Amino acid sequence: MRGRAVAVGIVLALCLTACSPGRRVDLGDEAAGNLVAAIAGEPDQLDPQKTTAYFSFEVLENVFDTLVEPDEDLEMRPALAESWEVSPDQLAWTFHLRNGVTFHDGSPLSAADVVYSFNRIINEKLSNAYKFSSVSSVTELGPDTVRITVTQPTPNLLTNIGGFKGMAIVSRKNVESGQIATHPIGTGPFMFAGAKSGDSIRLKANPRYWGGAPAVSGVTFRFISEPSTALSALQAGEIDWTDSVPTQRVDELGGDESVRLGVTPSTDYWYLALNEARAPWGDVRVRQAIAYAIDRGAIVQATSYGTATANQLAIPTGSPWYTEYHRYRRDLDMAQSLLRATTLTDQTLDMLVTSDYPETVTTAQILADNLKPLGINVEIRTVDFAAWLDEQNKGNFDMLMMGWLGNIDPDDFYYAQHHTGGKSNAQKFSNPEVDELLDAGRTEVNRDARKDIYAKAATIIADQVSYIYLYNPSVIQAWTTRLSGYQTRQDGAIRFRTARLN
Amino acid sequence: MTLVKTVLGHPVLRFLARRVLYSLVVLFGVLVLVFALVHLVPGDPVRIALGTRYTPEAYDALRSESGLDRPLVAQFFSYAGSAATGDLGVSFRNGDPVTLTLADRLPATLSLAAVGILIALVISLPAGIWAGLRRGRLADAIVRVCSQFGVSVPDFWMGILLIGLFASTLGWLPTSGYAPLAANPGGWLRHVILPGVTVGVVAAAIMTRYVRAAVLDVASMAYVRTAKSKGLPPRVVTLRHIVRNALVPVLTITGIQLATILGGVIVVEVVFAWPGLGRLVYQAVATRDYPVIQGAVLLIATMFLLINLAVDMLYAMVDPRIRLS
Repeated sequence: MRGRAVAVGIVLALCLTACSPGRRVDLGDEAAGNLVAAIAGEPDQLDPQKTTAYFSFEVLENVFDTLVEPDEDLEMRPALAESWEVSPDQLAWTFHLRNGVTFHDGSPLSAADVVYSFNRIINEKLSNAYKFSSVSSVTELGPDTVRITVTQPTPNLLTNIGGFKGMAIVSRKNVESGQIATHPIGTGPFMFAGAKSGDSIRLKANPRYWGGAPAVSGVTFRFISEPSTALSALQAGEIDWTDSVPTQRVDELGGDESVRLGVTPSTDYWYLALNEARAPWGDVRVRQAIAYAIDRGAIVQATSYGTATANQLAIPTGSPWYTEYHRYRRDLDMAQSLLRATTLTDQTLDMLVTSDYPETVTTAQILADNLKPLGINVEIRTVDFAAWLDEQNKGNFDMLMMGWLGNIDPDDFYYAQHHTGGKSNAQKFSNPEVDELLDAGRTEVNRDARKDIYAKAATIIADQVSYIYLYNPSVIQAWTTRLSGYQTRQDGAIRFRTARLN
Repeated sequence: MTLVKTVLGHPVLRFLARRVLYSLVVLFGVLVLVFALVHLVPGDPVRIALGTRYTPEAYDALRSESGLDRPLVAQFFSYAGSAATGDLGVSFRNGDPVTLTLADRLPATLSLAAVGILIALVISLPAGIWAGLRRGRLADAIVRVCSQFGVSVPDFWMGILLIGLFASTLGWLPTSGYAPLAANPGGWLRHVILPGVTVGVVAAAIMTRYVRAAVLDVASMAYVRTAKSKGLPPRVVTLRHIVRNALVPVLTITGIQLATILGGVIVVEVVFAWPGLGRLVYQAVATRDYPVIQGAVLLIATMFLLINLAVDMLYAMVDPRIRLS
């Protein structure tokens, strides 16, 4: 043991000589006064129109702009477009661009850039092209005016083109030089300044930002995927902000004076879906029996330590599109009486979950217990997310659990998931009435009438158990008391444009 | 011709030439294997790049852009051809050349491996020798219990404890992150200590057992008894006869441990947000970024081969009875 004692002694000596009192990571560059934000992973690429990774959007939210953007209540507000009008027949939208906006390389923003950006998504068939499904053309009417022509009234056009930074206005030069994936140039409050693979990305304040120059000199995003490390780094003063917070410590942090905690119910939701193309799950009574057997409260507790909100529909309370719905509660008698009317006996259920989203594994374990009394034996199959996507796509599952993130308009919540043949309808749900309602919702421009349509559609979807909705998780972030001018948002967008460090 | 003859005439150089040739064959085998594996494993890089909501047209467009619509054999030969010239292709995700990405990550991995193995040697050599010479006594028991403990402690847990003590509570060291050695030697040292200790202690626990076993082995040899009985002082017996002869198996296990750390210690890298090869490979596998996976595996295989070679040459230096052949 003397050996080990000597080694520890050497380490301590090294440390004492090397340690300076300053706890900040001295990166030896101009990033010294930056706000340091820890995110849980590294962006896969920085092209906003091509990435689908949340880590990328956490950074790019601060680099790029959209024509319009959601405010904290998710209402669409002017951004690069200062104003817009819709023709009386609802088929032509005219956007007037803000004057004097420049890209980070100094070149001015013009209508041609908007046309180029949108046409790139459409023509190159990028993953967000479906957001333009009703758009027939995007044209330049003048240097500051853009016209979007649609084939049918599209009440959610603003959400489609500005709901998130995947619809960002990009610089043609930046795209064509092939630089955008690694050195993006936007019009946003911060400019890309550098990246260290596997470690961090640096942004610096854009003094010419149209919304006013940011108060901090820049933002350094560090990639810290272990939540307990991120929290220690925050408490040690090495970082100023993180969204990598261990949920089991949210209660404890609420009482911690040295840290600010932001917990905001989000518009994300988690659901279960039964594969209706496979017997016996095509029988609505079987699906309803399962919906009645599930202990939603236990799932919320186990997956989120109570930070999520149970919900039997997708859209959270607090949203203007929220619909009251409380049909299901754990009721084994009801479940069993539903099953008695069917021929189901001693059934196994292949539950597809992924370790990349641990909540799906936890839920599957509870579910196995919940369904045992019904004679349904849940076989949990855990794969990584890439394989999960493959299996889902091939329809190789009886049941799966997944979440949808960052939805704003009710069309985002329901159409692709529940319309017959919808792109995300992996469970193969088909109901003519729902199809009709979802199609009507796409073109109904009266907001109240539209809300009614989606309330009806959502009710049928839950009654017929296309999805078994579970809960809306919370956006959970923590930051130093030195940080002001920042708030958590229900869509999970991270905006540091008004942040201030004291 | 005479030069070639002279070169090949020297036994060490002949040995080296043969090993380089052999290494190339092994690397080609690794390339075939990893290429086959990444394509066999379920999971589609295009699907995961596009997320969960996209059109079939978007799928086809990205698939052909990544060259994944070509026949597998054609993909393999075009990859192998450029790999032979040092071009490992570009990442599916951000278009970065894989060679550059690997070069970016290598210094952090080398730093962690060097410090980790140093700490492991500093702990395991004295502890293992001490325990081996005192077989069955209290000292031996203590070392064995400690090394058993070290082997069983999960490295992520030890990492979190070290962060809690030295970074959060005492504030002596940063919790996480990395600073390059050349630009910032002080910062490098402060950042590398905690992950280095985590890696080093785990490796030390394993290596201590090997050192102890090797010492025990040698200590029971007839020549040691002879040395003792001819009246040599115990220190001379220990250093010249026991330790020196015990070094060969120790070299082997040190080489294996070093190669393991170089191959990426994912858990430690995750806990300390260390930008090493382990996290790169992990992320590349998660996104099925084939060129990055292939490039990283080739690099790791090369490092394994180099360490093997170095260990073999050290054998001959430590023990002249071993010939390079």
